[in-house]
Amino acid sequence: PAMTRENNCLNAAKACNLNDTCKKYRSAYISPCTSRVSSAEVCNKRKCHKALRQFFDKVPPKHSYGMLFCSCPPSDQSACSERRRQTIVPVCSYDEKQKPNCLELQASCKTNYICRSRLADFFANCQPEPRSLSGCLKENYADCLLAYSGLIGTILTPNYLRTPKISVSPFCDCSSSGNNKDECDKFTEFFAENTCLRNAIQAFGNGTDVGVWQPMPPP
Amino acid sequence: IAVTTRGCLLKEVHLNVTDLGLGYRTKEELIFRYCSGPCVEAETNYDKILNNLTHNRKLDKEAPSRTCCRPVAFDDDLSFLDDDVVYHTLKKHSARRCACV
Repeated sequence: PAMTRENNCLNAAKACNLNDTCKKYRSAYISPCTSRVSSAEVCNKRKCHKALRQFFDKVPPKHSYGMLFCSCPPSDQSACSERRRQTIVPVCSYDEKQKPNCLELQASCKTNYICRSRLADFFANCQPEPRSLSGCLKENYADCLLAYSGLIGTILTPNYLRTPKISVSPFCDCSSSGNNKDECDKFTEFFAENTCLRNAIQAFGNGTDVGVWQPMPPP
Repeated sequence: IAVTTRGCLLKEVHLNVTDLGLGYRTKEELIFRYCSGPCVEAETNYDKILNNLTHNRKLDKEAPSRTCCRPVAFDDDLSFLDDDVVYHTLKKHSARRCACV
């Protein structure tokens, strides 16, 4: 029990700005995601999403995941968790004036090849399996985190919800689902109540899955 | 006209963003790079003449600037989140290359 509680998300941001690559690509998305383009729009969402995809493509996971998957004490609902929620600049990359239905959002994702393939990766690599020790069907947390972070910068961009437990969701809900309510609930639960994804995020945050993050030795 | 010399070098220091004195409230940090060192070797006849004229009081009271060790390129932008959960981006805040100009 340390005297001052460490803020892992703040420490990750400090580490990013001390690394030239991370610093460069971090400001390269924060700029478009925080620049107002007109009185009606807070930002150019397309540019913000593109720069976010670049950040996760170009910056080594040690730094990019360090900020996205930093661990916060469950009691914390402010300094650490709020910083983690702000990583993707949700006011631009996430929020919309109206919450669309999740199945409608999924349908428009499937019309875009980047979004379609990244959603398929996410379903494949973060599939929960209650009987496995890891909680995942494919027991590879790194692949699940890669697939999850790959959704950032698509119209299904997910973010942390303000809940005590780690829970994420794209910006949509299941109101007005009609006959497809069950299908919609299954879609949202894959994000919000996914033990495989939750375990993967926690393992990274606690540094209990460190071996996987080392760069591959040259062949 | 920029001339690189041995004396004028890029240096760096690890600081808190608050150390910059720009009025931000945040706990984030940065590497600040700056140009420092003498530029005597890079002086031209122009600089020698200025030096002599100033010395002989042939010019106005304000002495014109001599060769300075200055940034000729700036580092990438720096972004940080402040204590009120607002993002800020600093441009041209840190040097990338130095020269006597």
